[in-house]
Amino acid sequence: MLKSRIIPIMTFNGFGLVKTKGFAKNPRMVGNAVQAAKVYNNRNVDELVFLDIYASDKNRKMNLQLARLIINECFMPVALGGGIKTIEDIHDLLAIGADKVVLKTKIIDNPEFIKEAAEVFGNQCITIAIDAEKRDDGNYYLYNRIDKKIELYSFLEKIKSYPFGEIILTSVNNDGMMNGFDIPLVKEVEEIIKVPIVVSGGGGELEHFKELFSTTSIEAVGAASIFHFTRYTPRDLKLAIASVGRPVRIVEKQYIPEN
Amino acid sequence: MTIAIIKYGMGNVASVQKAIKKMGYHSIITDNAYEIEKADVIILPGVGSFKKGMENLIEGGFVELLSKEVLLNKKPFIGICLGMQLIATYGNEPERVKGLDWIKGEVIKIKSDNLRVPHLGWNTITVKNNNKKYKEFNKEDYYFIHSYHFLTENPNDILMTVDYGDSLVAAVQKENIHAMQFHPEKSQEAGIQLIKKILDSYA
Repeated sequence: MLKSRIIPIMTFNGFGLVKTKGFAKNPRMVGNAVQAAKVYNNRNVDELVFLDIYASDKNRKMNLQLARLIINECFMPVALGGGIKTIEDIHDLLAIGADKVVLKTKIIDNPEFIKEAAEVFGNQCITIAIDAEKRDDGNYYLYNRIDKKIELYSFLEKIKSYPFGEIILTSVNNDGMMNGFDIPLVKEVEEIIKVPIVVSGGGGELEHFKELFSTTSIEAVGAASIFHFTRYTPRDLKLAIASVGRPVRIVEKQYIPEN
Repeated sequence: MTIAIIKYGMGNVASVQKAIKKMGYHSIITDNAYEIEKADVIILPGVGSFKKGMENLIEGGFVELLSKEVLLNKKPFIGICLGMQLIATYGNEPERVKGLDWIKGEVIKIKSDNLRVPHLGWNTITVKNNNKKYKEFNKEDYYFIHSYHFLTENPNDILMTVDYGDSLVAAVQKENIHAMQFHPEKSQEAGIQLIKKILDSYA
């Protein structure tokens, strides 16, 4: 049976790993990316996501040297994102060993880029980051820092048949708050999007993960704060998800590479 | 033993080399005919569409070379993901095109009414029950990411299956040809051990 995936999301500010709250621009420093990748690999996480969250703001490219060091620690799939604007950028990330690339700002500006990218690299390595912001009017919008007001669900309806392999759905309001996932949002999106969905934003307690996996049919969850700021490990999350009857991959054997 | 990882512009060859290095084997990433002829094992990785993959194999002059080495000289061959699909008779991504035709069958889209496609993530494989050599890998989890699957003509060519709606082919084996739909190089210990088992048997 296909297992539910637990995916640590490492967010990077150009110097080290950081963790935001509500996507605010004053994140906490939480450590070194390469060391974190090594720990996650040893803990047999199902996948890893590494995002340079200010790359598009600062108009910079992914630090390929650092990304290569991260990938070298990993024997599971790794997705890289941040500042991707061109086919050449995607090529550079796949060439150093990324399995997927995460597109966001570029496709808000120009959704047709999804088609261009998939034509060259295949849809399975194209992941779309959807950052959903619930505003005071009660509606969800696509969070961005390029001053575009785009209603979330109509955007998803528009791109749902585009050739991408997966989405990472993040609740901006719940990001870093560790107070639970936005379940109504997830339910709405899983009706529209038919590729796998990684849900993130809000997981702070094991109960939150149980709630997510018992009330929706999504198969993957991304998390960061719970690993940075609590004693819970990816394995604890998997056991919690298994307790509500969803399959997970528990690795009993510990593989320690020799070199 | 030298392992040639074929470079034909279809994705992630670096990860395959990294995994092979962990097993203590030496590999080269190459598109050079002489190096491929000299190598003891050939690995064909790859992600992307079937049509583009075949085009690249044809343009790179690999089709005759690989067929000669694998079918005639019986050189050990490991195909991964698209590298497994390309050995089929036909593929359909995005339209019907001829494949290498080393193992009879057709690569078709995963049919799904209530399943998400691509089939993405870790899933449990079943080793064909009469196979002793690979029995130890039965019920291991491997990492899959694909929207098309290999429908083989001859059930004897199937080594492993995976359940995703239907029972899909996860790995095929015929004499010196070993190929898998999942990514052993991305499947942590279970993947490394599987590739090691295959390589060790030729070392």
